[in-house]
Amino acid sequence: MELKIENLSKTYSNGVHALKDITLTIPQGMFGLLGPNGAGKSSLMRTMATLQQADSGTITMGDVDILKDTDKVREMLGYLPQEFGVYPKVTSYKMLDHIASLKGVSNKGERKQLVEALLNKTNLWHVRNKSLGTYSGGMKQRFGIAQALIGSPKLIIVDEPTAGLDPAERVRFHNLLSEIGENTIIILSTHIVEDVANLCKNMAIICLGEVVAQGNPTELIQGIHGKIWKKMIDKKELDGYKSNFQVISTHLKAGRTIIHVHSATRPDDTFEPSPANLEDVYFTEITTRLNEVTV
Amino acid sequence: MFTEIFLFELKYRLRRPATWAYFGILFVYALFLSIGGLDGGSEKVFLNAPASLASTLNVISIFGIMLASAIMGVPVYRDIEHGTQNYLFSYPISEKGYILGRFAGSMATLFVVSFGLILGFMIGYAIGPYAGYEPAERYASFNLWYYLQPSLIFYWSNFFFTGCIFFALVALTKRIMLAYAGGAILFIIYLVTLTLTQDIENKELVSLLDPFGFGALNNTIQYWTPEEQNTLTIPFKGTVLWNRILWLGIGVLIFIFTLFKFDFQRFLNKKLGSKKEGIDDNEVSSAAVFTKIPKVSQVFSGSNNFKLLFSLSWMEFRNITKDLFFKAILIAAVAFLFFDGWFGNPTYGTPMLPMTYYMLEIKDFTYVILIFILIVFMTGEVLHRERGVKYEQIYGALPLPNWVIYGSKFWALVFVCFILVNMILISGLLNQVLQGYFNFEFAMYFTDLYLIEFPKYITYVMLAFFIHALIAKKFLGHVITIAIWAGMFAINSLADIDYNMVLYGYAPGYTISDMNGFGHFLAAQNWFRLYWLGFGTILTVIGLLFWKRGTDSGLKSRWKEASQRFGGKAKIVMGLGALVWLGAGAYIYYNVSMVNSYKNVKEGRVLSANYEKELSKYNYINQPKFTDIKVDVDLVPEERNATMSGVFTMVNKGDEPIDSLHINWGYDQLLQTELLKLAVNDIDLKEGKVYEKFDYKIYKLPKRMMPGDTVIMKLALKRGYKGFPNEGSGSDIVYNGTFLNNGFFPSFGYNQQSELTSDKYRKEYDLVEKEYSVPPQDDKWGLSNLLFNDDADYVTFEGTVSTAPDQIAIMPGYLQKEWEDNGRKYYHYKMEGEMDYFFNVSSAKYDIYKEEWQGENGEKVAVEIFHHPSHNYNVERFAKAVRHSFDYFSENYGPYQYRQMRIIEFPRYQSFAQSFPNTVPYAESFGWTADFSDPEDLDYAYMVTSHEVAHQWWGHQITPSATRGANQISESMAEYSSLMVMKKEYGVDAMQDFLKRELDSYLRGRAGENKFEKTLLDNDTQGYVWYQKGGLVLYGLQDYIGEKNLNNGFKKFIDSAAFRPKAPFATSNEWYSYIKEVTPDSLQYYLEDSFEKITLYTNKVSEATFKKLENNTFEVQLTVESSKNYYDGNGKELGSPKRANLLDIGVFQNDTIIDGKTKKVPLILERKWMKPGTSTFTFITKKLPVKAGIDPYNKMIDRIPDDNVQDIEEQELSY
Repeated sequence: MELKIENLSKTYSNGVHALKDITLTIPQGMFGLLGPNGAGKSSLMRTMATLQQADSGTITMGDVDILKDTDKVREMLGYLPQEFGVYPKVTSYKMLDHIASLKGVSNKGERKQLVEALLNKTNLWHVRNKSLGTYSGGMKQRFGIAQALIGSPKLIIVDEPTAGLDPAERVRFHNLLSEIGENTIIILSTHIVEDVANLCKNMAIICLGEVVAQGNPTELIQGIHGKIWKKMIDKKELDGYKSNFQVISTHLKAGRTIIHVHSATRPDDTFEPSPANLEDVYFTEITTRLNEVTV
Repeated sequence: MFTEIFLFELKYRLRRPATWAYFGILFVYALFLSIGGLDGGSEKVFLNAPASLASTLNVISIFGIMLASAIMGVPVYRDIEHGTQNYLFSYPISEKGYILGRFAGSMATLFVVSFGLILGFMIGYAIGPYAGYEPAERYASFNLWYYLQPSLIFYWSNFFFTGCIFFALVALTKRIMLAYAGGAILFIIYLVTLTLTQDIENKELVSLLDPFGFGALNNTIQYWTPEEQNTLTIPFKGTVLWNRILWLGIGVLIFIFTLFKFDFQRFLNKKLGSKKEGIDDNEVSSAAVFTKIPKVSQVFSGSNNFKLLFSLSWMEFRNITKDLFFKAILIAAVAFLFFDGWFGNPTYGTPMLPMTYYMLEIKDFTYVILIFILIVFMTGEVLHRERGVKYEQIYGALPLPNWVIYGSKFWALVFVCFILVNMILISGLLNQVLQGYFNFEFAMYFTDLYLIEFPKYITYVMLAFFIHALIAKKFLGHVITIAIWAGMFAINSLADIDYNMVLYGYAPGYTISDMNGFGHFLAAQNWFRLYWLGFGTILTVIGLLFWKRGTDSGLKSRWKEASQRFGGKAKIVMGLGALVWLGAGAYIYYNVSMVNSYKNVKEGRVLSANYEKELSKYNYINQPKFTDIKVDVDLVPEERNATMSGVFTMVNKGDEPIDSLHINWGYDQLLQTELLKLAVNDIDLKEGKVYEKFDYKIYKLPKRMMPGDTVIMKLALKRGYKGFPNEGSGSDIVYNGTFLNNGFFPSFGYNQQSELTSDKYRKEYDLVEKEYSVPPQDDKWGLSNLLFNDDADYVTFEGTVSTAPDQIAIMPGYLQKEWEDNGRKYYHYKMEGEMDYFFNVSSAKYDIYKEEWQGENGEKVAVEIFHHPSHNYNVERFAKAVRHSFDYFSENYGPYQYRQMRIIEFPRYQSFAQSFPNTVPYAESFGWTADFSDPEDLDYAYMVTSHEVAHQWWGHQITPSATRGANQISESMAEYSSLMVMKKEYGVDAMQDFLKRELDSYLRGRAGENKFEKTLLDNDTQGYVWYQKGGLVLYGLQDYIGEKNLNNGFKKFIDSAAFRPKAPFATSNEWYSYIKEVTPDSLQYYLEDSFEKITLYTNKVSEATFKKLENNTFEVQLTVESSKNYYDGNGKELGSPKRANLLDIGVFQNDTIIDGKTKKVPLILERKWMKPGTSTFTFITKKLPVKAGIDPYNKMIDRIPDDNVQDIEEQELSY
């Protein structure tokens, strides 16, 4: 089963043109949606999660029309929003149990097993009887993924799940996601390239509401192979380089600035070739559209 | 620093839409009031008179508590809410600068917002004269000071005070709830306190402690005449001054305290007082890796959805009931309910037993307002609950159909409503048990609460869901819903739109009666509830369509979403709602507008005006007068109609021949009439000219009636009620408790009483101002007709009345026979001798209490009290009052003309007692269920009964002529007689309480006068003159000239005027002449002052001291001031005569309580001639003097009666 997005457009009432004619095909497995802040990732995610309407276009999953048949979609959906709150005075156990019953898990015994398994899986077992209001950011995020996994969803949408997590939490989170069965569509939106590089078989980059690249990360990297050059410069020289070359990123190393430049040929001798990675792909796409990116 | 924070705050607030929303609401509200004409008092008072402006601004500033809490609660809290506190407080700003700046900025915002009201008034009162809703002459020209002065001393100073409180509350506790709920709670506490303190003697202290200056203001202006209200601003002195200093001072102190107490460190701690629970998250279990998530089965069936609907509803319900705000408001609302019940239903300050109907009625005082607000807030809460904790995205993506989520919230509110109606039951029962009243009427509770009130609350919920679903912003939703509700109230009361079918949630008013239960009101209630539930269902479904699930609030996408949601189920439910709505609507319309004729207020006035324009040409035409009446009345209370046939002997008592009969049925009534027979001397009369609109028909007589001719008229008719009207009780014939009077039968000729009385409207319809309603004392027509009815002088009467088999029916006269026939009960009555044509027919299931009174000369009178079986609490009081009255009146005025006296209870659809010959019908709410256990409370059953019994002499023996002033003979004399019976019962030293009540009512009455105050000799409409002024003046007179002496004069009057067989009938001049005759020359000035003029005294003690003398006596030195002023009818001062007046001077010990009643204990009580100005008196007393004063019993009319007596201070002894 594939998720097909065709010609999806959305303009908000305040005039922001969030989605511009997006067409994407998302196969089963982990799919990364990469884009800078404000690119339209969350708009797209929320539209797929039945939380908002599109102006035009379609999204289908198998024979289910996601935009129209919202009840059907919700039955097979697991969703972790970018930002979410919880009832502060309820324990995670009770909350998961509650959500499970709302997700149609009506058998009490099954529900108990499920909730306990999820709590174990997300490492929340020891705090299951603590109220959610006392949870740290990482614990809350784990709770979020636990609730998204209830009822073996066919479509899992996780919006910027690792933002604000410490490195160890991030790893645990990645492990959790990667364990989910192969026959599930998992859409992960992020602005952290590494997440996608580590996890996703397929990906798309969106910027200013448009899909600017999509495909398999390896193929995408292959596309710019041999076109990335780097050079160590002084900070004050940066502007000059920017006006002459397509500087896709700048890094600091020991007080000096290293710039990456995208160019079909070696700009000059002072530049060294640099092995292309997914980050270069991302920045190459973005810098042609946005003015400046600094990492 | 301060300046920056201040300016930032102010600019920030002025950019917020909420600020301008508040401003706009106040502005529009003021426009409404000023253009629509908020009518408080007299028509003579300008709508924008300075006194009215002051009261309005004051009252609104009390409601402004809410505004102050909304504006002053947030400035500091905002930094917590938006998380800015984390960095803001790290900037180099000082705590004091921060607090001062935020405070001043917000306070400035509050003043700006509250200025909206003042601006609205200024503009509204300028537009008003041209808008045409109120006559232009009711608006005075603009005077800035009239706005500014009360704004400064009441309006803004109250905002300042409450603003300080809320600012301090939030700054010091960090709990925004305290501001939001605190506003409502403070307001409620204030209202409860007002109720609690209303009976406290020390009005000065109470009004000083009133934080809003409401009491101080009211005490100042309560007796102001229209003239004074139009020209004076509130004097900023005395209690008003001290009150303002006190409360503004407290506000400032609270703020200063906050300024010094506020501390960033404390404020930054997330929760004041409670430590954050730390959680250990180091434990990383390896179990996670090995855990497999089990496969589970998921059910998405309809039945599971219903299960979820139920469990979610229950959860929502639990969430609501756990909400602090909910609890706070509910507790306050129930407290209100309880206190309203606890303090009973006082009549003249005397409480009533906790009757079930009253326990139910109080829900409409304050409870319903709080409940509405609660419902609106809780609806907002449940519809935004997920959004509030940012859980809405997860929740919105769950596989729950919209109707389950939305429905669960709706049903939760319905459960809440069920709890709310039961609170009324609990509070009522609790009240009854605590007050020792155990007659629990559960059926009455359940009918009212479950059939009427519960559906009403549900319609509120439906409206709230509709608005809150459409308006996805919570606060705006609250504002709009409440504005709609208030708007309907405004439309209803200000714009005179009263058609209940167009005002959401409205239904005809209804009255529950012990005698008649819900009676004929219930059907209309049920239909209207059904009607609104149907409409509400449509609203609720529309709400479901537009309710925001998810994240997109754009108009276009919500519209798109709504059209997707409008599927089969939604259509079916909406269709059903529409069906119920239209079906019930059609039936209601049929009843209200087709079976009964509905007229809006304006149409009613136009009809009255046209009545006068078209028919007044028939005023004073000569018509025959009844001399003998024989009637058969068949009451059918079960169907609310009656058939009546009568044989009327009529004489032409006038000077001119009579050619036709003018039959006047009275226009615009709920009663529907069918004329069965109208014949004179057995010849059926034919309709001549007919004025259909006014039910006024002219019939030509078969033969011209010459002066002195006698004819027999036979009249048969059927009259009754059909269906239900838009409003109105239709209480003449009811299932149990029929009470109709001769107005049920037609009268002859034009009736002046049906004219428009308000000059405001008369001018609007080009009618001349109406100064008097009856002709002058020397008018020939007036002298030859009786005041109460011009269709007869005195008549003989006989009749039979039939009624339902379980009821007793009563008519004038002595019961001759009673029997049963055809399943109906029959009673035959016959009057002995003559009576004035003023009678009633009553029928109900009665118990009868009987006593007998025997007079000095052995005459016997049967005293019968017909009462509702469970209302036997005070029957002996009524009987005692009747006996005491007979004792006094027969001794002082002459014998009673009948052998029986019947007091008859009737349902509480009207509230009065009225004296018919040998019969006094008494409303159910008027004494029957009063709680007279505290002798300090006025025993009005005793007072009113003696008043009504006195009418047997003053009204039914001497029936006044239809001339100006003549009604004083009836009412002033009855009031005086009642005071005298009480004086005999309680003693002269207990009378001050009664006299002060009379004084208070008189002064209030004249302050609200719509035309001009009349004198005792020519007053023809003003109750406060003929009851209260008349009673006071005559009481004062008997005190001056002697009770016996005055009564002898009255007795002579009776001897001369009782049952006067022919004109001229008694006038006020005739009455006055008997009074003058018994009054010595030295006191004739008092008669002139009191009867011919409007005279007010200003008496007060300026100094009272004593010193102890050597022989164990006390020398009292008393300095008093006295002045006397004459006024014209508008309250304008005419002059202050310099001659001496005779006034009481008294020195007193402490009051004593005898048989539970407070009485004065005079050491000295002397009458002194005193010139206006200051007088000093010295007295020697044998006992320690405590109080002293001038006119201590308040016999004179004086606007500040409380300063007549003061405590005596002991003089400092100096050697």
